Amino acid sequence: MNALLFILVLPLLVSGLLFGIYPLRFKYILSLAVSIVHLLVTYLLMLGVLPVPESRWFIFDALSLWILLIVSHVYFWVVLISYEFLQRPAEGRMTLSRRLYFNLLNLYLFSASLAVISNHLGAYWVAVETTTLSLAPLIIFFRSPSSIEAMWKYLFIVSIGLAFAFIGIIFLTLSAYGGSLEGEDLFLTVFTQYGDQLNPVWLKAGFIFLFVGLSTKIGIAPMHPGDVDATSMAPGTVGALMAGSLRAVGLIGVLRIFQIMLHTPTAPFAKTILIIGGCLSLMIAMIFMFKTTSYKRLIAYSSVEHLGLIVIGIGTGGLALIGAMLHLFYNSLVKMALFLSAGLIHSHYQSSEVRAAVNVLNQLPRAGWLFLFSFFGVCAMPPFGLFFSEIRIFLGLIEMQRYILLGAILFFLLFVFIGSGRSVFRMLYSKPTSDIHDRPTEKTHLTHYVIIAILALLVLTGCCLPESVETIIRQIAVIFGDVS
Amino acid sequence: MENVIHILFCLTLLYTVVTTRIKSYVSMLVLQGLLIACVMIFPFLKSLSIHILIIPLLTLLVKTILIPRFISRLIVNLDVPRVVETTLQPFNLLLLLVATVILMFIAAQLLSEYAPVPPIPLAAAFSTIITGIYLIIFRTALIIHVIGFLIIENGIFLLGTTVAAEMPTMVELGALLDIFVVVFLMGIAINRVRSTFSQIDVSALERLKD
Repeated sequence: MNALLFILVLPLLVSGLLFGIYPLRFKYILSLAVSIVHLLVTYLLMLGVLPVPESRWFIFDALSLWILLIVSHVYFWVVLISYEFLQRPAEGRMTLSRRLYFNLLNLYLFSASLAVISNHLGAYWVAVETTTLSLAPLIIFFRSPSSIEAMWKYLFIVSIGLAFAFIGIIFLTLSAYGGSLEGEDLFLTVFTQYGDQLNPVWLKAGFIFLFVGLSTKIGIAPMHPGDVDATSMAPGTVGALMAGSLRAVGLIGVLRIFQIMLHTPTAPFAKTILIIGGCLSLMIAMIFMFKTTSYKRLIAYSSVEHLGLIVIGIGTGGLALIGAMLHLFYNSLVKMALFLSAGLIHSHYQSSEVRAAVNVLNQLPRAGWLFLFSFFGVCAMPPFGLFFSEIRIFLGLIEMQRYILLGAILFFLLFVFIGSGRSVFRMLYSKPTSDIHDRPTEKTHLTHYVIIAILALLVLTGCCLPESVETIIRQIAVIFGDVS
Repeated sequence: MENVIHILFCLTLLYTVVTTRIKSYVSMLVLQGLLIACVMIFPFLKSLSIHILIIPLLTLLVKTILIPRFISRLIVNLDVPRVVETTLQPFNLLLLLVATVILMFIAAQLLSEYAPVPPIPLAAAFSTIITGIYLIIFRTALIIHVIGFLIIENGIFLLGTTVAAEMPTMVELGALLDIFVVVFLMGIAINRVRSTFSQIDVSALERLKD
């Protein structure tokens, strides 16, 4: 059996099929089945039980399997709670968005998987553009003026950014002129193998355009505003999907061209650009943690911070790269927990302002505590996985003797913690205003259990990493050359 | 001959920045689509095959018929004012663009010494991309932003067809489809913006900030 059938064809087929199915429950069950099959096939591929499909259009190395696992994982949890989310009462909900919700999610799964496993940069570009198209209509799920603005900005900024990424891809083709690769199709495996024959000037230009263009998708500075608006305005489930897996899909494009450059004299240049981008993101995140008044935007800026850290890890290489790859996984898990619990708080208060959400721990004790624990997770407190991956990144930096960079990162992280903690603790512990007397009883939804499961997974995988995961991470480190 | 088309392309750019009538933007889009299709057809003249002809014909269909018609309909439906507002006088923008185009030609000439790239197509493509960015920056109507995005895409098509080796057919088809759907979604978004804010100007979109 070809695994591609389950990874690509099934989601696309179901996405089309769902147009003919009206009951929401059926749509949900079908989508959930697709997500379970997808996750299962991804695991089996990773464990080597299923044979890897042979095709020059697709690449199944450790990196794409790892990112595919992240995408599939996040998607499974999001679909699992989607039915309950759609049943939740909400003001001004779009009926059309609700009807197309599962169609678009399936289309997203197809395009994200295609982007991750495609061996051709042109095909990657098309797939990434499709992920934008599939998620943008879901941003206006709640018909508020802010969400319409967020959708417009996201669609526009990302489209322009991807246009620049395409220029980068064209430059990459140009860099092959004069060498043996001239006229070859843009297959990554070929380009990586003969990377030393590429023209360094065009290669550098291509990297800059691809990195800046895709950073609209990854959500790192200076192109982060569209992403921050979209993830904070979208409903909790879509926000979790965007913060958890869409960013990884953007990141793999940058990783692929970085992989090509590793075997050329331009590698130090690429590393410097990555580190500069990461530091800028950390700084921006730190500043806006103090400025923002909305807790959903706070979480969105925390994504900017963590992706910045990951990019720094990739730019540093060695142990830091291993840490960054683990951090990508843990970050996607904790972002899901944060966005889902913030979604619960949002659906109670109908506002995402820190000032409006008063006394959360008394009003919504369960969602409040889960939010608090997720916040500890995102701040990389010890039992959670992010602690271990951040330590690896820091050790990697020490190994490379980049002490000033390490100092700067620690400084930024400290103030990010102070800035975000200020808002989060005010939300959780503030005194209730006089007009709130009755204590509404909070019902326990499926979402609560899912958040608990995600947090448990975060602790478990943090403390004892499965053997298969460790192997795959080591293989990624081998791909990027410098395992020591 | 190809160079003549590229120079013509640059002339359409000059017209897009001086005009303020919304209809002329759409007609310029049609003209640019036609010119791009012309550039794409040249390899066909050298070696006859149906396979190469598919992409130029589809480009012609999407860029000169589907997208301009969609935008014209959008303009009628949204009741867009016939004359667009500007934040920079058209004449000043023209001066800026002329300076940019000259700079691009010089840069392309310099670059072509390092890599075997034809300078005129490179300069034309980059001038087009920058014109699109100028339109987005210096015009306030959202519909002009969509047109600016389309002009950037035109520039990329020009760059792709003349400078680089061609992409596989499936990829080009996917890219065309994606661009069409993006414009379609942008149209829907503008409709929503209009019905919510009762204007279609960027000044309506200033809620989200920190």
